[in-house]
Amino acid sequence: MSGNILLWQVIVLTFYSMYQIIDDLTFISSLAQPVWAGLITGAVMGDVTKGLIIGGSLQLTVLGVGTFGGASKIDANSGTILATAFSISSGMNAQTAVAAIGVPVASLMIETDVLGRFTNTYFQHRIDRTIEEENYHAFERNYLYGAIPWALSRGIPVFIALQFGGGLVTEIVKVLDTKMVWLSNGLATAGALLPAVGFAILLRYLPVKKHFAYLILGFTLTALLTTVFTNVQTLGTSMAKVSSSFSNNFTALPMVAISLIGFSFALNAYKRDVGNLPSSTDSQQNGPSQPEQSEQKNTKDEDGEIDGDED
Amino acid sequence: MATKTKYELTKKDFRQMNRRNIFLNQLGWNYEKMQGSGYLFIVLPQLRKIYGDHTPELKQAMRMQNQFFNTNPYLNTTIQGLDVALEEKQGISSLETVSGLKNGLMGPVAAIGDTIFASLIPAIIGAIAANMAVQGNPAGAFLWLAVNIAIMYFRWIQLEFAYKGGVTLVTKLQGEMNALTNAATLLGVYVVGALIASLVNIDVPFVAHIGKMTVNLQNEFDTIMPKMIPGLAVGLIYWILGRKRMTSTKAIFIVIIVAVVFSALGVLGKGA
Repeated sequence: MSGNILLWQVIVLTFYSMYQIIDDLTFISSLAQPVWAGLITGAVMGDVTKGLIIGGSLQLTVLGVGTFGGASKIDANSGTILATAFSISSGMNAQTAVAAIGVPVASLMIETDVLGRFTNTYFQHRIDRTIEEENYHAFERNYLYGAIPWALSRGIPVFIALQFGGGLVTEIVKVLDTKMVWLSNGLATAGALLPAVGFAILLRYLPVKKHFAYLILGFTLTALLTTVFTNVQTLGTSMAKVSSSFSNNFTALPMVAISLIGFSFALNAYKRDVGNLPSSTDSQQNGPSQPEQSEQKNTKDEDGEIDGDED
Repeated sequence: MATKTKYELTKKDFRQMNRRNIFLNQLGWNYEKMQGSGYLFIVLPQLRKIYGDHTPELKQAMRMQNQFFNTNPYLNTTIQGLDVALEEKQGISSLETVSGLKNGLMGPVAAIGDTIFASLIPAIIGAIAANMAVQGNPAGAFLWLAVNIAIMYFRWIQLEFAYKGGVTLVTKLQGEMNALTNAATLLGVYVVGALIASLVNIDVPFVAHIGKMTVNLQNEFDTIMPKMIPGLAVGLIYWILGRKRMTSTKAIFIVIIVAVVFSALGVLGKGA
């Protein structure tokens, strides 16, 4: 039996898990992202804040994990659904749920993703046949059938886990809270460290060698200012206790302000690069000589590096 | 040699292609032809109008359009726009050109689209949304939705843009796209640096007792460089990810195991 997860909650979450993968293939509205999975699952389970914390943590873990060339990616969305649902129903700590449920589920679901993509080959063969038969409606029908393997690749595992996994999770939580507190603390630490993986993966995809100076700049500026802001906040809170005439309204470090500093550097780089491009009237006159243009551009690129060659 | 076709595409045709792209693209994705059938699905109604139903031309065009195809799902209709412009004007004789265009452009379009739309934008907005979410604030998630709806608008208008502009315009834009990608990656690297310092929340709770002296290691690290431990952690994971046969999933599990062991030893802990 499921812990405290009601049947209607299981059904709603199963449908959401099926919807999200279709969304991610077509509209790409962001509703398939872990933050949304946390928000929606949290709302269904009655604890939005906990859902947001779990969704946010898993979002940071997979920051930079994109699908390239049709490779399956770690399914942090389904991981968020199950981690949030079980964390709320069994009272498991949010950070622990991220490492103990979210990540293992997310990586197991790679297999069902592969299975779904593989099953669609069957419909591809039927599509090939409809073209030879000149049956246009059958072509469109068989193309749309492709949505079924996609939806089931998420719906079936999420339903089974939510419906039958609850008892097991409740048992695990009991053991973690009593006999294995060290493991519980360790998993919480792992949850706090996982965003580091997300950032490292992201840096692998970005031309980090070329822009290394800006990595140091962003890091150092934020490290120093976070310390200052946190200390001022602490000081202000203590002062307010000592003197009632002292009003404390210090905020945490605003990340948008930090981003704006980086944005000004990016804007300068863009203007410099566009200024170096051959003028548009030139390129219209010798329209077919496209290779020559790109050669010109490359020699003017002082860094001598082209973005495309970064892996 | 030009076998001119009678049909000219209208606004209604573009709307139909865009609807099919935004609501139904990639549903047929499979390991054999990837987005191949999706490409044909998007252009099929227009092919039927250009060539006419049950003609040998239509069958030939459908066979060609059903071949392997895979590119970035944000920019794919720029290729379809160029394609229908050619087929509309030159008919069946353009098929060879169209096939070359599809195969030649899907790589570069994927490279630009994946860098900007599939990595950078989700990474930057995702970091902002996640940053708010871990503090219990849902506003970032709604911001992301708003941004993606704005992107949908560009996905909608690019088809007609490519149709009208043709190949030269698309290649001309590539220079500006490169400048944009460079500026965006610069901002991306900077923001990641800032996020490492603000969101990787670990410290060293270990306190050394040397004789009567107690040394709080975290305080010592803070006097050298605040947030040093998160910075080193990311550097180490970055290095691990560069090892042979290492995948991001494996790296995530390695980090979990190492964190549990170090936490049990009392060396590493969750920050305040």
